[in-house]
Amino acid sequence: KMASKMRVALRPVKSIVVRFCPFEPNVESTRKFLQCIYHKKIQATNTNCEVTADVRHDGSEPVVDVTFADGDRLIMKGANLTTGEMLTALESRCNAKDLKEEQKSKKRNP
Amino acid sequence: QEDGHARVLRRQVEETLRGSRMVAVCQYNSMPDEDVAALRHFLRKHDIHVKFVLNEVVRPVLAQSKYRNLLPLFVCRNILLVSPETRAREMLRVLKGVPQVNLLAACIDDTILSRQGVENFARLPPLEVSQGQTVAALSLLSSQTSSLLQRGPAHLTALLDQHIRRLRDAEGPTEPPPG
Repeated sequence: KMASKMRVALRPVKSIVVRFCPFEPNVESTRKFLQCIYHKKIQATNTNCEVTADVRHDGSEPVVDVTFADGDRLIMKGANLTTGEMLTALESRCNAKDLKEEQKSKKRNP
Repeated sequence: QEDGHARVLRRQVEETLRGSRMVAVCQYNSMPDEDVAALRHFLRKHDIHVKFVLNEVVRPVLAQSKYRNLLPLFVCRNILLVSPETRAREMLRVLKGVPQVNLLAACIDDTILSRQGVENFARLPPLEVSQGQTVAALSLLSSQTSSLLQRGPAHLTALLDQHIRRLRDAEGPTEPPPG
């Protein structure tokens, strides 16, 4: 339901790894983020984007690790972030990259 | 009325848990319906059944059962994969092709296992093979001991035989041939 409000376009994203320990108490927002990312509307924006869930049992912090097509990385530590904040952060990064790409292509073909 | 429905659902969950040796908890992310149907079909081949569960229904049931340590897993959308058998290898093989379903943990034969634990369990050889290997290892030790103990007397016997032969050869030419 959250995903329909977010317009996350995964076009500039190469892969997303969501890492968490399910028995830890601070993983809810990260797991919800994973659930939202799999929403069909978001998946439809880039079917080549690889989404992986890395389920651990070593007390490590929940992390969302996004790799963009241009090599950039966005690492979000989900323990103290809400799902909305993580989606917003991803959305704004993706929009910024899309904008940059548009400007680049406008320069190439004026 | 709602409470009655919840009660029915809770009883169903209790019955399901009672009859299962393996209960795997997985996070369920959006999947097209056909894929859900295919998943159910392939798992059912190995007597593993997919149960969609609501956290509000399942949490009170778990809290009063031996599965209470699985409670932290029940946030977000989950499904249970239950089976009267413990075919973890087959379950993992099917789940490999379904990235939208993420195995979180399982309870197999009253033992809670993490995801890694389930993978290790799946790699174990069947019970009969393990029993055979144990018997072979134990009997190897005792047969080694037996041959070690026999080595001394066997060596002594061989030496005595050789000694007798040498004595016979030394006396040989003076003894009359038999018959």
